[in-house]
Amino acid sequence: MSEFRIIEHPILSEWVEKKEITFFFDGEPLKAYEGEPIAAALMAYGIRTIRKTLKKGRPRGVYCAIGRCTDCIMTVNGTPNVRTCITPVQEGMKVETQTGRGSWE
Amino acid sequence: MNNDDELIICRCNEVTKKDIVDAIKDGADSITGIKRRTKAGMGLCQGKTCSRLVARIIAEETGKKLQDIAQPTARPPVRPVKLETIADENVAES
Amino acid sequence: MVDEKADIAVIGAGPAGLSAAIEAAKTGAKVVVYDENLKPGGQLFKQTHKFFGSNEHLAGVRGFNIGKLLLEDASSTNVKIKLDTIVTGMYKPTTLELVSKGKKWKCEAQAIIVATGAIENSLAFPGWTMPGVMGAGAAQTMININRVLPGKRILMVGSGNVGLIVSYQLKQAGAKVVAIIEAANKIGGYGVHSAKVMRAGIPIYLSTTIKEANGDPEVQEATIAKVDQKFKYIEGTEQSLDVDTICIAVGLSPMTELLNMMDIVVTWDNSLGGHIPLHDEDMMTSRPGIYVAGDVSGIEEASSAIEEGRLAGVAAAHKIGFINADKAEISKYQIRKRLDALRSGPFGEIRKAAKRDLIQLYKKMDYQNEAIQVQAAVVSIAGKTIENEVHLRGYPTIEEIKLSGNISSEERFKKGPVAIIECVQEIPCNPCEKICPFGAIEIGTPITNLPLLDAEKCHGCGLCIPGCPGQAVFVVDFSKEVEYATVKIPWEFLPVPQKGDIVAAVDRKGKAIGEAVVSNVKYLPEYDKTRVVELKVPRNIALDVRSMERGVKCE
Repeated sequence: MSEFRIIEHPILSEWVEKKEITFFFDGEPLKAYEGEPIAAALMAYGIRTIRKTLKKGRPRGVYCAIGRCTDCIMTVNGTPNVRTCITPVQEGMKVETQTGRGSWE
Repeated sequence: MNNDDELIICRCNEVTKKDIVDAIKDGADSITGIKRRTKAGMGLCQGKTCSRLVARIIAEETGKKLQDIAQPTARPPVRPVKLETIADENVAES
Repeated sequence: MVDEKADIAVIGAGPAGLSAAIEAAKTGAKVVVYDENLKPGGQLFKQTHKFFGSNEHLAGVRGFNIGKLLLEDASSTNVKIKLDTIVTGMYKPTTLELVSKGKKWKCEAQAIIVATGAIENSLAFPGWTMPGVMGAGAAQTMININRVLPGKRILMVGSGNVGLIVSYQLKQAGAKVVAIIEAANKIGGYGVHSAKVMRAGIPIYLSTTIKEANGDPEVQEATIAKVDQKFKYIEGTEQSLDVDTICIAVGLSPMTELLNMMDIVVTWDNSLGGHIPLHDEDMMTSRPGIYVAGDVSGIEEASSAIEEGRLAGVAAAHKIGFINADKAEISKYQIRKRLDALRSGPFGEIRKAAKRDLIQLYKKMDYQNEAIQVQAAVVSIAGKTIENEVHLRGYPTIEEIKLSGNISSEERFKKGPVAIIECVQEIPCNPCEKICPFGAIEIGTPITNLPLLDAEKCHGCGLCIPGCPGQAVFVVDFSKEVEYATVKIPWEFLPVPQKGDIVAAVDRKGKAIGEAVVSNVKYLPEYDKTRVVELKVPRNIALDVRSMERGVKCE
């Protein structure tokens, strides 16, 4: 996942190793740093296609990144329409792509 | 011309430019009017992303100035919340 | 959840909201701040660049450090900040309905300050809904807050300050910004930002817009095209760019949902972002007891958001009796002076006039809730301005810098190192004046005056290089060798060069024009992450070399 992670940066503070956890993206185990937004954890792997739209099944991803536009919604631990750009990732979290508004488990 | 028709304006509800132009031809000339006819602005983001784009299309089609196009009406809750949260049994003690 | 009472409720914990809360709390009022996000600070913590302004505006300090100071102040003044809390409704006279973690409750306040900020504007074009297309602010959040790259090859749409600054920050983060495109025929943001970006190798194409984005399922290509004066595509000018990310920087709009609910009178002002709540000189809206501050009351900058927040905080505290009229007037006077200073120069004057018109209109307002429409007055540029075309070219020419009086004579060059200040646009900014230990730089008042270097007083020490938030100062030395000269440049990228490195010498346009040897690299903690790199170059290009690049062949 380091390809997209910004480890060295000329201005930001030094990289501090945070707690690494495992979460599941459509069943696949991925690594993340505890507490970072789910969408960031996915982006770190270059995963930017986050959901499919209801009517036309078109791919969507992060658009505003501050929890306002709702394009980044996914089903998290069974709950649909979770804004992944602001929701912290936790150990064992089950994150799934959803189509349209998703559905409750 | 085709490209324009298919252009998505309301991302949440996948409302296209053609849908909106059709609504205007049908008589809508406000953001709220377009919202009622096409559902543009009724999605999860409640029009935050598309309202300005819709206003621009109204301006193009009707000649109205952007400043004369009223903002969409806002009613509580201004953010999507679960019904159970605002239902009566959760009303706090005064 | 139990209902609560507060003297002043602030909505939004960004720079405006926090500043309002701090000022109000200082008067003894019980202040609570609600913010729907999980972290406070609004958009402040992702601003990694040094701010402009003057000492009292914390000029030269990076945005996220200003954020830290605000949070410390809030804590020490006992401001209560409730995060992850949504204000779902606002009711008469000054009651809020709140929701957090599945619970709802009310807050009865005596006054409310709405500091809800703004949202990025959208630009619709075929392909804009694909993953990979995002707001410039979104990319900035990803790189500076989450430390993740949104992509590797970026197209930036929009050349306002956001577009310019975020492009620079994307390069700092390790991405390649392929181009910045601007539909208008001039650059929207400050010349020091465009100069920084161009010498970093990012071209700016004017009169150009994006026609479409292609890819499956994500962005793989962008087609750009030239536009005419009416912003219509010019056939045959299409160009295909190999990019995986498209950032949209086409302005911000105030988030006024809560104000709209209360039938607060709103007006229109293009230069402030569209629909703006009408407010008086105390930041109070058409509803007594409800104030606004920051971007929600007109799109400006973080520095003005902070001052407007302070104004609203003092005004609200006075209105509900926590501070007497005299004290309030003194505070408000000082804040308004600082706001005026921020709103000066050709960029600021337009906003100053717009805000003045807004306040005038408030006085004439008909309380029957008719929406009053007003066009912002575009004022002619005040004060002396030297003729320059930086807004067309992106960087100043040597002739333009000469006009500002800041290129020394041959005589002076022979004597030793000397600074060259390449600042030709009037913006409110003066840290260079304070930082020179020899008093060689003069700005005076107003702080929009261009800095003037007294070359005789200048020792060429180079403290002004990291001190300039615009990275517009360089030090040249023609006195040591016959064939070579040295140029000291500010450097904020990785890798930091090492003494002895051989690199390409790059000019203001971003073009490699010769070879340079890195003769020195200096860094002290007070430079705050801006390194000073000294390049040894052939004498005849020393007045052109303003940056460096590795692995580039010069023409």
